[in-house]
Amino acid sequence: MTSRQIYLYLVPALLFTVVFFIFPLAYVLFVSLQEWDGLSGMNFVGLDNFRYLFEDAAFKTAMVNTMYWILAGTLLHTPLGLLLALLLFSKPKGWKWLRTLFFLPNVISTTALAFLWYFVLHVSLGLVNNSLKGVGLESWARPWLSDPSMSVFASMIPFVLYIGFTMVIFLTQMSTISQEFYEAAEIDGATRAQMDWHITVPLVKSAIGINIIFNTAYCLRMFEYPLLMTGGGPADSSINMSLFIYREMISANRYGISMAAGLMTIVMGTIMMGIVFGSLRLSERRRPR
Amino acid sequence: MKVLRWICILLFMMVTLVPFVWLILSSFKTNQELFSAPFALPDKWMIENYEKVLTSHPIPHYFLNSTFIAIVSTLIGVVLATLVSYAFMYSFKFKAGWLLIITFGIFIPTNAFIVPYYFIVNWLGFYDTLFGVALVYAGVSLPLCILIVKTYMDSIQKELLEASFIDGAGVHRSFISVILPISYPGMTTASIFLIITAWNELLFASLLTQSEGTRTLQVAIRFFLSTFSANYPVAFAAMVIAVIPTIVIYSLLSEKIISGLTAGAVK
Repeated sequence: MTSRQIYLYLVPALLFTVVFFIFPLAYVLFVSLQEWDGLSGMNFVGLDNFRYLFEDAAFKTAMVNTMYWILAGTLLHTPLGLLLALLLFSKPKGWKWLRTLFFLPNVISTTALAFLWYFVLHVSLGLVNNSLKGVGLESWARPWLSDPSMSVFASMIPFVLYIGFTMVIFLTQMSTISQEFYEAAEIDGATRAQMDWHITVPLVKSAIGINIIFNTAYCLRMFEYPLLMTGGGPADSSINMSLFIYREMISANRYGISMAAGLMTIVMGTIMMGIVFGSLRLSERRRPR
Repeated sequence: MKVLRWICILLFMMVTLVPFVWLILSSFKTNQELFSAPFALPDKWMIENYEKVLTSHPIPHYFLNSTFIAIVSTLIGVVLATLVSYAFMYSFKFKAGWLLIITFGIFIPTNAFIVPYYFIVNWLGFYDTLFGVALVYAGVSLPLCILIVKTYMDSIQKELLEASFIDGAGVHRSFISVILPISYPGMTTASIFLIITAWNELLFASLLTQSEGTRTLQVAIRFFLSTFSANYPVAFAAMVIAVIPTIVIYSLLSEKIISGLTAGAVK
């Protein structure tokens, strides 16, 4: 079936794609080659903005930190989500209620969680340091968010812990697994942990992939936690790409530099997605099922 | 084994949820108490903290702003995604190419687009309006939205469409009376996804609005830190007030939200 009329259905989405993706992409490319404060005329500077970026310490830190975020999403957040999904998948009493509870932070909003954990990790009135004090581990107390050597990791804690969304994606795929597998395993005398590891985990491989992709994309855009918890500091130690782009545009009025960094984020995203997709495909080939 | 599982679950609950309890308790304290007795119950429950917030900050107004943006952006996004997904039930020239064009945006970290979005919204005359923010949210989420709805529609049997044509219905009629009624699980999933995304967003909301009248809940929370920096418990109270409506709505609809979030994804 073909019909000219169906183009009517295609056009609105296409228009949006032009306005919100194709034009912006071209615009970013263009502005990244200019020196511009957003008000007066542009001044073509070629690749100077990129040269500036690669000599800028804050930008380097932003790139490295964004990589840390992606690693935390892949190696901590996703496995934790899987672990919790496995725990709930064994259907303990009230598991539905627990699922609701663990998903709650995802609707409360990242900004609110960032605000909350800013205080939880606060040096003097924070919950963490006061708890340590309470159990006699006062020497472990740290200025978590204002120590340059750990500010970036401290600002990741709420992201790593609030795994509601990741968990729900895992649980959904787990619910499609046929019960027969577990019944057969039970007859063979397998323990629950063995079933988890040998049946459930291999069968939710595509959910692992989806979650890693989602979380990588999320970490590339991560903005709320660094902005509210550390402001990128101290001394730019916890800055990331989003915050760098935002700061160059809003506070420094260097639109050219901001968009050169934006372009670098897109390049970085493309490379990261390439790696993720590549390794997912590789792991599929290695263990055919 | 069972015990170990419960220990894990409880430990996790403690780490993730105790901070909320602590925040709520602290919001009833005086600033002094917050520092001197961090774990104790408030000596005297400072309802005044809440009064202070409610009289000085129009939080219900911010809440309505966020709600408006979430609803409008979701409507735009889901309608566009549904229309275009329907088009992809047919065969036409360069179909794969068109699909690539409208979905490649999924891989773009859109925070890179703050400068173009800022100017586009300005040129369209929507700077500092709720509609401008909603429009950008719809645009940014559209590729994923399309993928969700289209994946669902792909599972619909083509024979339904053919039968509808044999019955004499045209392209539009078939869409409205045959395809649309059975596509709602995909549309629901996309909607919930969009609502949560729009509700959460901070970067574009900060970028595209300026006045207090267009402030979203998240932008307001961002400013709590600086506004109430002299009196933390009041900031905590503001925070509690800001998230309570969300928690109430969520607790009423949580089953629907969680199952709907994935209904369109699993067949």
